Amino acid sequence: MLSDELSILALYGLLVAVTLVLQATGYMNKLGMGYLMSSRDEQHTVTGMTARLDRALNNSIVAMALFAPAVLIIVLRDASSAQTILMAQIFLLARLVYVPAYIFGIIGVRTLAWGAGFVATCVLFLLAL
Amino acid sequence: MTAELTALALAGLLQGAQFALMSIPANLELGPGKTMSPRDPDRLGKPLVEQVSPGTGRLIRALNNHFEGLILFTLAVVVVSLADKTSGLTATFAWTYLTARILYIPAYYFGLSPWRSLIWFVGFLATMAMLVLAFL
Repeated sequence: MLSDELSILALYGLLVAVTLVLQATGYMNKLGMGYLMSSRDEQHTVTGMTARLDRALNNSIVAMALFAPAVLIIVLRDASSAQTILMAQIFLLARLVYVPAYIFGIIGVRTLAWGAGFVATCVLFLLAL
Repeated sequence: MTAELTALALAGLLQGAQFALMSIPANLELGPGKTMSPRDPDRLGKPLVEQVSPGTGRLIRALNNHFEGLILFTLAVVVVSLADKTSGLTATFAWTYLTARILYIPAYYFGLSPWRSLIWFVGFLATMAMLVLAFL
């Protein structure tokens, strides 16, 4: 069975995948399918919303690299508790807020959401000890 | 070892191989003076990735792309393995992912369009399928 932390990790994977699809759609609109399918030898930079999606995706991947080992340790050590589930839920919720907050440039909310996700991950590591 | 974990370990080794494949020509082209420096932008003139030959640039982009693919695939393997959701289907998807990521490198290097994009998409779909199967 999927324990809650694992379900949340799987859901977060799907969230990152959705972010990736949005980013790719943005690139498709800005640079065209021809360029995307080419070897991209000449550098093109994007601006605006597509660039924000780019940064949001990169940040989501960094967050995933930290969140995944925390969940892995908790599940392998059977350290799951109401608190660890709560922290994982806070993480997922924070990252769900983070992506649209970045896309729409909601100043303050994005940073707060990032902070909440980061703190929740740190607490997970502490609870995993 | 399950098929999914074997594919994950091989994908990790593939990442190591891709790193070597990229760093050897990059170091030969740029020289250790540049690659071993702290790479401060004001001293490089322009980013190192723009100073290498087109083929090496493609290898760098292929490596960076696999970081993204690999972390999602790691997640998928961890979830199906720990949740005891491995099956013939998840094993097939894991091997599909690995095969796609191996083919992705020559497809990028030789500029095979649209095959590189299609191969990328196959690897991405295989990962997504594993993640979704974890819930079924």
